[in-house]
Amino acid sequence: MNSLFFKIFVSFWLTLVLFAGSAIWLASNYLDDVRSEHNTSGLHERMASYSQEAREIVNSGNLAALKQWLTQLDHHEPIPILLIDQHGEELLGRPVPARIVRRMARWNHQLEDNDDDHEHRHRHRGRRLVVSPDGTRYWLAPDYQSITLGRVLKRPHVIAIPVLLATLIGGLVCFALARYLTAPLGRLKQATERMASGELSHRVTPGMRGRKDEIADLAEGFDFMAERLEQLVGSHKQLLRDASHELRSPLARLQVALGLTRQRADASLDTELDRIERETERLNELIGQLLSLARLESGGIATNKTEIDLELLLKEITEDASYEARANNKDVKLELSSEGTVTGDEVLLHSAIENIVRNAVRYTAPDTQVEIVLKKDAANSSYRISICDHGPGVPEAMLPHLFEPFVRVAEARDRESGGYGLGLAIAHQAIRLHQGSITASNLPGGGVCMEIALPAENRNER
Amino acid sequence: MIANRILLADDDVELCEMLAEYLERDGFAVSQAHDGAAALEKARSGNHDLVVLDIMMPKMSGLDVLRELREESLIPVLILTARGDDVDSVVGLELGADDYLAKPSNPRVLVARIRAILRRAENNATQTESSPSGAPLKVEDIELFRGSRKVLRDGKPVPMTSTEFGVLEALLQHAGQVISKAELSVEVLGREMSRYDRSLDMHVSNLRKKLGPRGDGDERIKTVRGVGYLYTINENE
Repeated sequence: MNSLFFKIFVSFWLTLVLFAGSAIWLASNYLDDVRSEHNTSGLHERMASYSQEAREIVNSGNLAALKQWLTQLDHHEPIPILLIDQHGEELLGRPVPARIVRRMARWNHQLEDNDDDHEHRHRHRGRRLVVSPDGTRYWLAPDYQSITLGRVLKRPHVIAIPVLLATLIGGLVCFALARYLTAPLGRLKQATERMASGELSHRVTPGMRGRKDEIADLAEGFDFMAERLEQLVGSHKQLLRDASHELRSPLARLQVALGLTRQRADASLDTELDRIERETERLNELIGQLLSLARLESGGIATNKTEIDLELLLKEITEDASYEARANNKDVKLELSSEGTVTGDEVLLHSAIENIVRNAVRYTAPDTQVEIVLKKDAANSSYRISICDHGPGVPEAMLPHLFEPFVRVAEARDRESGGYGLGLAIAHQAIRLHQGSITASNLPGGGVCMEIALPAENRNER
Repeated sequence: MIANRILLADDDVELCEMLAEYLERDGFAVSQAHDGAAALEKARSGNHDLVVLDIMMPKMSGLDVLRELREESLIPVLILTARGDDVDSVVGLELGADDYLAKPSNPRVLVARIRAILRRAENNATQTESSPSGAPLKVEDIELFRGSRKVLRDGKPVPMTSTEFGVLEALLQHAGQVISKAELSVEVLGREMSRYDRSLDMHVSNLRKKLGPRGDGDERIKTVRGVGYLYTINENE
């Protein structure tokens, strides 16, 4: 009974059967009720008022008005009411059943007998006599036998309430059913999005509140998948961290051994030893980067929060970077269209932005410049720092992957320029720790623009 | 000249032995300790001029060793921290280390740092001999005796490490003027300042704690953002 398949099947099936059954039952009941004698007392009163109205119109002598009145009456009265003249013709031309024709002869006969008592006694039969000023006699008579389901359903006031009720109740039931089915799917969708954004510890089962059906199974499966994914990613990161950690001891020994060799060796080996030393330094730096990335990713960094003047920070970075850039006929230009202060770890933010700027300097073509712009966005809610180079750009498909560790855009070029493929990943994580974001896009004329968004300080909150 | 005696405390025995050899070739006398407890015991013996202390050691971490050591001794201490672990270096400097060095690094750099620290300590020592009654550097309530490495506040001694002494000496010499961090770094630590090196900030913060506020409640050493430090003097006097 907990299966979703069963729930949907049974609810639709039952609804249809119940609806059809109750519709047929109600309709036949209604029809019976209209035809039966139970309803005649109501009809009596209605007939009395109808004949009254008819008499008034007949007295005015307007036949067209009479026809119009009769048409209107036919519209809202479930029982067909005929107005028959003495020739047996119905005023609107509707066929008069033989039964009524026969009875009419008797009514006429009785009328000619001038038997008023009789007339009163036969009141319950419903017929009414309407006499026009010129003496024409009409019989106003209900035609019970001609009530059909079709005719009843065509009267708006009869059908309105059931239709309204069906719409309301059916709507409510369907709304509840649809909600019941889609709400957990919405939660699942949200969970997949959160997983995709890196929140691997998110689980959906707690939000299912004791549901036991296919959706709950799906949620369980999802959680299981998330758990495995978290473990795998966790162990992968742990491995990277441990390996980097363990690599440092041999590296430290290597450096001392190298120092000892230098002390003993003569000058003829200097070139080779310098080379070894340089490579050792690079290895050292790479391990350092790996460790800081691991620390940033775990988010457990004891951030040293201070107020950072973005203007000052960017000026320092620009100064340093342009000094190096000029050596290669490149330049770095800073444009400040806003001042800004953010709260965060200055060292972290400095190295993050510096990494991106250095990267831009590396890739921008000779005789071009790297442009750094600081501005506040329209809503004044964040600072935007864009860093654009005029280099070869990045293949469109690679743009979203630029901030992943060890991504190389073009194998040969990166090796030549000495990139480790970690700088942007570290920058990304550092900016993320400042509740900021970073995106990359290609410039139409070639080159890449990195845009960093950092939330602006809300002075009221502090 | 007697060789400077260095205590090398690191749990990596192989590294320790190689480093000892390297330092001996550079003219130091080296003894080793391979865990925290042994390091503390040897450092307390008073037979050394400087301790090179690794932070990550079994039995007792380098930071704990430093904390206990500083309760009784002002012997110069250079701590070795894991590369990229700024927290350890900040804590170490706060506990009174004279300087720090990220590990792994080039042994040449290690020797340079050791020499810089020893030079500070020796400077002070030689001056004692040359001018035993040398006039103290006096700024208001602080008296600094270059020779005996003593600092008095209101006539009461304030214990400090040789690096802290060096920083204070430089600040007092420039009392009333701003001295830039770069200048301080070269003058006291004996090296070019690198950006975001927190050593000077930590030494200054230790000095503030030890000296307390001025008599009139003002801060004794002011940080001039983006520039350097200022030892304040009462300008009304």
